[in-house]
Amino acid sequence: MLRIENLKKSYGKRLVLQDLTLHIPFGDIYGLLGSNGAGKTTTINILCNLLQPDSGLIKINDQLISEQTKSLIGVAPQENLLYKTLTCAENLDFFAQIYGLPKKERREQVQACLEAVNLTDRAKSPVETLSGGMQRRLNIAVAIVHHPKLVILDEPTTGLDIEARYEIWELIRTLKSQGITILLTTHLLEEAERLCQRIGILKNGSILAEGSLAELRQNIPAQEIIVVQTPEEEKAIARAQEYGFIHRHYGNDLAFWLPQHLELKEIVSRFEGIPLDSIARQPVRLEHIYLEVTQDKKLPEPAKPNP
Amino acid sequence: MSKIKYWHETLAVAQRILIELIRRQRSLILWAIFPLSILIINGLLIAERTQVSMAQAFENVAPSTIVGAALFFSCLGGTVATVVAEREQQTLKRLFLSPLSGTSYFLGIFLAHSCIGVGQTLLVYTVAAFWGAKFQGSLVLGGSIIFLSIISYVGFGFILSTQLARRTEDVNSLVAAFGVPLLILGGAFFPTSFFPKILLKVARFNPIYHMNEALVGVSANGDDLAKIELHFWFLCGFAVLVVGGGWLAYRRMLSMERRL
Repeated sequence: MLRIENLKKSYGKRLVLQDLTLHIPFGDIYGLLGSNGAGKTTTINILCNLLQPDSGLIKINDQLISEQTKSLIGVAPQENLLYKTLTCAENLDFFAQIYGLPKKERREQVQACLEAVNLTDRAKSPVETLSGGMQRRLNIAVAIVHHPKLVILDEPTTGLDIEARYEIWELIRTLKSQGITILLTTHLLEEAERLCQRIGILKNGSILAEGSLAELRQNIPAQEIIVVQTPEEEKAIARAQEYGFIHRHYGNDLAFWLPQHLELKEIVSRFEGIPLDSIARQPVRLEHIYLEVTQDKKLPEPAKPNP
Repeated sequence: MSKIKYWHETLAVAQRILIELIRRQRSLILWAIFPLSILIINGLLIAERTQVSMAQAFENVAPSTIVGAALFFSCLGGTVATVVAEREQQTLKRLFLSPLSGTSYFLGIFLAHSCIGVGQTLLVYTVAAFWGAKFQGSLVLGGSIIFLSIISYVGFGFILSTQLARRTEDVNSLVAAFGVPLLILGGAFFPTSFFPKILLKVARFNPIYHMNEALVGVSANGDDLAKIELHFWFLCGFAVLVVGGGWLAYRRMLSMERRL
């Protein structure tokens, strides 16, 4: 559906995208992760033909990117870019008209979009009277009103409360079930974990790691992670190394990667003689992978585990 | 096919602007109150001070009221407010994401403000007719002058809104700074026959003066094109100039703001 090959873009001497390559199959949700300045917005700008790349190839639905491919893409920007005094239906109708939908189809499509985002009962309400979550849903509805093949959702749940966030996630799943391909950028790793079939981690303009969550987990040679609270961290680290556990600090937390699943009593026995305030077990999550990949840590040579 | 595309886009933009205006109502009401109050005050003043009939006074005042008080604020002020509001709400970015062409966007704004301008013209002449005023000259020529005035104001509004006004608050100061002196110097509030010679020399460089003189000539005196030739061609030239300038200013804004 979307093919980006060796995309390069620089602003003056600052290289923003360097050999960015990614493929999104038809009907997938692809999560593009990266910190601010990683190149996500530049990528979206190029996809939408708002910016010209220095080099590289982009094809949407087998068509090279151009003014004509604009109608294949629907974008829901971070901010709710809507006409506040117009009603929900009027906003949708206006954008449908801009995209050249004939009147009859427009009327049907406005209804369908309102239903899709669960705003049918607010069709005649001016946008300024809607809650933040409703506006965000309408923002997404505007992105799909012209039957795009690819929908770009730029941080769709940023700033929303948890209920509104769940609603948007449900909406994104519905869009996928309708066969729409989605490129999702987000800072919420849980969001990517829950929704995306494939995830790309972007840093300094290139993809550092890409794949399904299962594939990305290969970046961390661990079955499980334990977070330990102890007044004697040094000792705990030294002991863990004897068993081949790699340690990491996640904020203030001291964590160890367990290369295989262990029972709790076995874990406790490994730290015998070291005072432990608590031990919490966690699965390997996207945030661990993300930090590992973006912080560019070299995996230490694990010490030979004690039998 | 592409002509139909432009037409649909233009219609969509115009319709959207008009719906927003109708929804807000306040601007529409003010755009009606302002020219009518200027028309009535000036009409009564002129009738009293120049000892002409009410009909003659209102025939002379109606054209100045239209090109000055009415079209200036609705078409120039309205265009600036529309574009600035789009920049401020960032909806312009959403339009950049769509296949909407810049030409359709300009024409849409022009069409919306033309509707308002025509409405104001009808309103002003209806009220003037109440005092016995009649449109003396060619309707086609008068309509052309009004059309050229609207296009000039919209074009000039594009230049101001894309280059000088970033926020809604800027609109008022811009209109006050550029607008009011130009209006007075154009004869919108006082007939140019009141002007001293030095001001008349300066006024000749003011497009509003030419809009006003041309429309007063046709509407109040029944002049034909030959009699208002200088004003008419000045106005044509100015319209072309500001539409070109507006287009360039719009392109410049695109290069700066065409990003998410």
